Amino acid sequence: MSLEGKLALVTGSGRGIGRAIALKLASQGADIIVNFFRHRENAEQTAKDIEALGVKAEVIRANVGDPAKIDEMFDMIGNKFGHLDIFISNAASGVGRPAVDIDVKAWEWTMDINTRALLLCAQRVVKLMEGRGGKIVSISSLGSRFVLPNYTVVGVSKAALEALTRYLAIELAPLDICVNAVAASAVETEALKFYFKEGLVKDSRQVTPAGRMVLPEDVANVVAFLCSEEAFMIRGQTIIVDGGTSVGLFALAGK
Amino acid sequence: MTVEEQIRDIIAKITRVDKSIITRESTFKEIKADSLDIVQALVAVEETFGIEIPDEEAQKFQNFGDFVSYVENRVAQGEKV
Repeated sequence: MSLEGKLALVTGSGRGIGRAIALKLASQGADIIVNFFRHRENAEQTAKDIEALGVKAEVIRANVGDPAKIDEMFDMIGNKFGHLDIFISNAASGVGRPAVDIDVKAWEWTMDINTRALLLCAQRVVKLMEGRGGKIVSISSLGSRFVLPNYTVVGVSKAALEALTRYLAIELAPLDICVNAVAASAVETEALKFYFKEGLVKDSRQVTPAGRMVLPEDVANVVAFLCSEEAFMIRGQTIIVDGGTSVGLFALAGK
Repeated sequence: MTVEEQIRDIIAKITRVDKSIITRESTFKEIKADSLDIVQALVAVEETFGIEIPDEEAQKFQNFGDFVSYVENRVAQGEKV
């Protein structure tokens, strides 16, 4: 699997899953645009690590929850590069509250960043991928289909993200663009530490049949596969990367 | 308007508290600002003053005064206003 000469944009790639995806695609030869919003130092470190792999890296700050910032980001990419081969919609945020406590602000914040961003970015990406056989992968989570405490609005946003991924897969197929999603269970990242603090995830290791937590690299490996020509006939799917958690109900029931 | 007044207006608008209760000593809890309110305030302040406030810095703010002082310093350093 070689991505030599390809250009990839990974949103939210300063840290966590996005960083692992950026590094994986870079290791296969792709030049990477590292998008970040709140953590510039991390983004610049990711860019350095990408360059150490012998490919180019560009850092762009943009809040993907803000349509004007999405436009600015793609204007810049259009002007500087004029094309794009791979788009990974990874940036996410959320408000950890039960349904009865979710106000309009928390709902909109989460939906705008987690779901609407894919729609607005895809609209811009399509033009940059014209005639290039592009790949789009969105990053979802098991919360799209399973209920986790206080994960309500994030889970709903991810369910909508997966549905949008299916629609995009069909609508963009005639443009030679492959669109899929990857949904992970709890992944060992900074974001997870936040949820540990919030009491969402007690210890995923105990409920993962594969015997360990999912790592960012596990997600990145599947994303890289979906960006390869070998995955050409996979369209509109959400590939679950969870070490068997979602099908291993015995583990959830405490064995 | 001073930097302090502008930031006070931004936060009061987001948290919908009466801006007269926001003093330099007010903690974010006292202003009824949750983590989402704080991020939205950071974004609004960044746009207003044309600066970038990394989370690493924002996490050090103990109260409204810390937030204001940080922005005042950045603006004084010749950042675009």
